[in-house]
Amino acid sequence: MEERVKTDMGALAASLDFDAELMLRVKEGDGASFGKLLEKHRAPVIHFLYRMVQNQGVAEELAQEVFLRVYRSRESYEPTAKFTTWLFRIATHLALNSLRDGKNQRLEERLDDDSPATPVRQVSDRRPSVEQTMVYQVRLDEVRRAVAMLPEKQRAAVLMHKYEEMEYSQIAKVLNCSESAVKSLLFRAYETLRARLAHMA
Amino acid sequence: MKCPMETRENGRLLDYASGKLDAVSSAQVEEHLQVCPACREFAGGQQLVWQALDAWEPTPASMDFDRRLYQAIEQQASWWVRLTRPFNPLFRHAVPIAAAAGVVIMAGLLMNRPPAKPTLAPQESAQVETLPPDQLQHALDDMEMLREFNHLLPPDHGDSKM
Repeated sequence: MEERVKTDMGALAASLDFDAELMLRVKEGDGASFGKLLEKHRAPVIHFLYRMVQNQGVAEELAQEVFLRVYRSRESYEPTAKFTTWLFRIATHLALNSLRDGKNQRLEERLDDDSPATPVRQVSDRRPSVEQTMVYQVRLDEVRRAVAMLPEKQRAAVLMHKYEEMEYSQIAKVLNCSESAVKSLLFRAYETLRARLAHMA
Repeated sequence: MKCPMETRENGRLLDYASGKLDAVSSAQVEEHLQVCPACREFAGGQQLVWQALDAWEPTPASMDFDRRLYQAIEQQASWWVRLTRPFNPLFRHAVPIAAAAGVVIMAGLLMNRPPAKPTLAPQESAQVETLPPDQLQHALDDMEMLREFNHLLPPDHGDSKM
């Protein structure tokens, strides 16, 4: 009976995605599969959290907590949804909590965040001029500010839609709301961003 | 194609501006944009936002991210294991020994249980208490009658027969 349930779960996981299958292997004690999941999702999770809280130190700390929770939940894991839906649900939950608790600000004071606010652009032969770099920096600051000013849920929806390329249905599952609510969130968010970034045309 | 703005199908315009539509659907939207200024403005503004967001490149993760994570996993997951590790060989033998000892103690306790004291059934004592007074009187009368009867007999009457 247990074997059959296991097989059914495996088939379900396979039909959902390969990540869920990897997670089922983690559940069975395969540490290497956890490593594969970490390798694949480390960057998207950190980037999502960074864009949510806009602090690299806090984002990494939250990402550590996300993967720690994934690992701790391995024994109770059931592949009822896409793995990324579950993963981003944890990440969004932590990010929203962090923003609400003001942990972001407290940690900003505590952490010696020496990471650059903007990535170091590695252009080997054609280095951007000082002017180009400054223009880029100004535009980036405006984009960051515009995104930061969005309400938290709208921000999460935009980041998942734009950068993680998630479907409306998946975003809805992550945010625990209906698909039409997600479309409405996105529409309002993009409307705000259009107004704030219109001068950049 | 019906106007997405009028039918509140803004998702279609969002998808168009995000490049998420297939070729056929994209062509349909573009055809509509030719004749609809409102949708054209929306799509143009959305494409601008999309390009602006593209400029926000992510910062790479710290080099020691994985090391810190595995360290945290090791610390959290195995504190109990690490705590009990020195006692593991003891635990391995101690469990069956403790189980056997438990069985022996239980058996001993059961065998050495003191015998239960005979107690009057509550119903009997209740019967005594509830003896009717006339019955008691009869019994006393009978005893009195026997005593008088014994007085009437000669003192050695009973012994001579024996």
